[in-house]
Amino acid sequence: MKNNLIMFSSVTHAIKSRDLLKKYGIDARMIRTPIHLRNKSCGYSLLITKDFEKSLEIIKKNNIGILGVSAVDFR
Amino acid sequence: MIYFDNGATTFPKPQSVINAVSSSLKEKGANPGRSGYKLALQAAELVYKSRSAVAEFFGASSPENVIFTPNCTTALNTVIKGILKKGDHAVISSLEHNAVARPLETLKKIGVSYSIAEFVPYDDDKTIDNFRNAINSNTKLVICTHASNVFGFKLPIDRIGAMCKIYDIKLCVDAAQTAGIIPINLADSYIDYLCTAGHKGLYGPMGTGLMIINNEKTPESLVQGGTGSQSEILEQPDLLPDKYESGTVNLSGIAGLAEGIRFVKMRNPEKILKHEIILIQSLYDKINKISGVELYTQRPDERYFVPVLSFNIKGMDSESVAMKLSEKYNIAVRAGLHCAPLAHKSMNTIDGGTVRVVLSVFSNEQQIMYLADCVRKIAKSI
Repeated sequence: MKNNLIMFSSVTHAIKSRDLLKKYGIDARMIRTPIHLRNKSCGYSLLITKDFEKSLEIIKKNNIGILGVSAVDFR
Repeated sequence: MIYFDNGATTFPKPQSVINAVSSSLKEKGANPGRSGYKLALQAAELVYKSRSAVAEFFGASSPENVIFTPNCTTALNTVIKGILKKGDHAVISSLEHNAVARPLETLKKIGVSYSIAEFVPYDDDKTIDNFRNAINSNTKLVICTHASNVFGFKLPIDRIGAMCKIYDIKLCVDAAQTAGIIPINLADSYIDYLCTAGHKGLYGPMGTGLMIINNEKTPESLVQGGTGSQSEILEQPDLLPDKYESGTVNLSGIAGLAEGIRFVKMRNPEKILKHEIILIQSLYDKINKISGVELYTQRPDERYFVPVLSFNIKGMDSESVAMKLSEKYNIAVRAGLHCAPLAHKSMNTIDGGTVRVVLSVFSNEQQIMYLADCVRKIAKSI
């Protein structure tokens, strides 16, 4: 399964990234990071089903810190 | 009641602010940034949108550089106590509020020192010289009010900032009396830390304040605790804004503050200032003619002043004048030292304080005429 989740420490960074991606026409859904991915941390993630790599590049280019990426099944 | 205590907090608040507070309580009342259910996410969205609105209004580099605080005092304490360490020195103006002076006095106990640069009315060159002469090799921070909360004097912040840049000293500006009437664009300024109240010229609810960081060097946090982020570590997170927002934020206050900023933008800060300056000049002209009234400044104009006026009536102490205005004429003003003994000392009014009039966008000429008439009656009665 391909990566579809970008994880953030803070809800502020998650919303900022989601709004940024929206400007590029990319839809992202904000969710709480699944517990098995969190390393006991609290955090928020963006679930991105299309243009994942492009999204990651945009977020990194805008110097928004991420905790990591992962693949989750949200069907 | 005629309300002229807008320097303490603006009243009334715009209806749109009241509506925003009310609807946040009714419709978005979950804890933002803690959970993933719809209402909690909506609350987090509301805080983020408000943060973005503040960032845009002040030209902050990013929404996360906007820190919501309970008031301007907390913001100032965070900068002062978070930057200055043992052996460091700070410079402040002679017009500072106790929100600046008291944290510095407290820091004296750990070996921080500070100097006071005398503000010289109507002579920015001399004021700048005094700031320059007050700095030394240990000076790390200049903290300066944008305008006096007692006499309305504006300080030459741009020039003070340019001086700080030359000497590699950080500048913290207290904009409690100016935010909302004097445009501040952090992107085009030398201000490193901007602190302000949310409930004065920004027309938000009481219990709101802002610290906006415009520099890579972030102060230590004043309060540590739960942030909803990085919960696995016991140390305070270093990321903004979480570093400074431990505990549940004031959601309804933040919603009201964002709406207050929208209101100010709609009314246009420059027009609000013009409106209030015309009224304060009118008051100055009227009470200046009254025998027994003492004024402490020249006729206020936009170059040197924000719309704040202090006066006394000979033969009656300032608190008694304020009480008479309240009880006999139903006018609200603030008397005494206004939490700014340094400013009163500087203007030789420390012994009795002054009666202070501060206007808002809702003030009008009829109210000014009534106040002047009441002052005349009180002066005549002595």
